[in-house]
Amino acid sequence: MGLFDSMNISASGLTAERLRMDVIANNIANANTTRARIVNGISVPYQRQLVSFSAANDTSFSTYLDTEINQFSGKGVRVSSIESDQVNPYKLVYDPSHPDAIKDPNSPMYGYVRYPNVDVATEMVDLISASRSYEANVTAINAEKSMAMKALEIGRG
Amino acid sequence: MDLFNTLDLVVLERSLDAAQLRQKVLANNIANIDTPGFKRSDVSFDSMLQAYLGDPERPLAGRRTNERHLPIGSGDIEQLRPSVIQETSTTVSSNGNNVDIDSEMTQLAQNQIKYNALITQLNHQFSLLRTAINEGRR
Repeated sequence: MGLFDSMNISASGLTAERLRMDVIANNIANANTTRARIVNGISVPYQRQLVSFSAANDTSFSTYLDTEINQFSGKGVRVSSIESDQVNPYKLVYDPSHPDAIKDPNSPMYGYVRYPNVDVATEMVDLISASRSYEANVTAINAEKSMAMKALEIGRG
Repeated sequence: MDLFNTLDLVVLERSLDAAQLRQKVLANNIANIDTPGFKRSDVSFDSMLQAYLGDPERPLAGRRTNERHLPIGSGDIEQLRPSVIQETSTTVSSNGNNVDIDSEMTQLAQNQIKYNALITQLNHQFSLLRTAINEGRR
């Protein structure tokens, strides 16, 4: 067990939450992006991105040794993947004058524009949640820092 | 037991180790606050220490002057090690995670204060030793 292990654990939390905030910021920035990419001449809107976390636990020998000695091998959190939201449908807005409106007159969706499946309110709630989790990790780091500084005082008094 | 290996110092040292491990475990809980399915862990040491110190059998523990002696009584403080337990029975959020941030932060603060108190106590023990070494002259 190293002196800075718990700080590294909290740092992994900071990194993960910051990435989550970055992805949320990207979602909000692209809330009205109707032309993220073109497929077969039809513009496809931006898809909301989701970050998924998993507990970091590698399977190296040192981890097993650590588990045996300290009975604990937690290594913090890691981002397992960033995936597109395939569940929520695109928002449809009737606006025939929009350049990305569906032009095919035979289509039942004629004149509709497909907007990204980003709900700004949901994103803001997630943003606050990520920001609070980030702060919790900062508090943990500060606690660990003051403990390490206190440990240096052993034998001085 | 020699000068630097008294029960007080060993107990303080062990408790500091346990507090350090507990800090690590709590930090890991906080880092995983948004991880689906994550179950929190905690360190159990205080109750074990209390049981050890409060054990009426302990004064009768056999004194080992040789490595090959069998431990008699409740045994060695060296055997006393913190253990990490995972709390799997509770669920706080809908994704199976059971980290309650309020309780984690409270425990973090408590652990920090306890750690500081232990170090103050350790320094006090050392200053007692120093007083003895200096024949009370400071």
